[in-house]
Amino acid sequence: MNTIPARLARAAQISASPEQARQRVFQLYRDWYRAAPEIISLYALPVSVPFFRHAIRRKFEENRYVTDQRVIDVLLLKGRQEYQETMNQWKMYDHVMGILLESRKGRPRSFLEKFYEGRDEDAVLPAATGV
Amino acid sequence: MSFLRLAARSVARPQVASAPRVVLPRAAAALPQSRGRVLQYAAYSAAAGLSKSDITARVLDVLKGFEKVDPSKLTETSRFSEDLGLDSLDAVEVVMAVEEEFAIEIPDEEADEIKTVQQAIEYIAKTPEAH
Repeated sequence: MNTIPARLARAAQISASPEQARQRVFQLYRDWYRAAPEIISLYALPVSVPFFRHAIRRKFEENRYVTDQRVIDVLLLKGRQEYQETMNQWKMYDHVMGILLESRKGRPRSFLEKFYEGRDEDAVLPAATGV
Repeated sequence: MSFLRLAARSVARPQVASAPRVVLPRAAAALPQSRGRVLQYAAYSAAAGLSKSDITARVLDVLKGFEKVDPSKLTETSRFSEDLGLDSLDAVEVVMAVEEEFAIEIPDEEADEIKTVQQAIEYIAKTPEAH
């Protein structure tokens, strides 16, 4: 199969208005939604199409209450990058199963669990509400 | 052993003898005829497309497949967000599901415009590729 690496590349863009940022989010969501069957066959994932879409939806829901437009633009850029990397098969099976389809927030960890892991901090979340 | 063979033969023979007599002539006679008929009908009915009631039923079926949609509130005139209580990402999903149902791809700008069941039905009705 021939991959054109730049096919899905998008330049970073600053949204002109909240409305435009919203439209761009929908576009990204649509692309992911449409690509679900293709990605599943590309990586031979043992998941169903609805589950894949649900996992993607969960990723979007994590940032549902982000209001800062600059943050939204960065998240959009990251989403596009992720999409490009997934569609061009620059990821491996485990990246998709373990990172893309995995929910970020697990249950809250206790003090000792953090200690055993050697990590006090949870993953750094992007600033959700700014300005 | 030989008794079994005899029994098997006596069962099998009438089938073998009768099967070609029935099947072959029918296949030979029916195939060219039916092909010609199909072609003729296809030419005459090509412009008809989908009927409005057909589209309506299928769009409503798609919406009934959504967990969040209350079937009792679902009518042709209901709006996605106000009447059915769907959020914006759900609305995107509904439009994508309609796309899949009718095997078309709705461009982003027009997909954003579809906010009611009625609009979805109208869009399908005026799209010749929908089937």
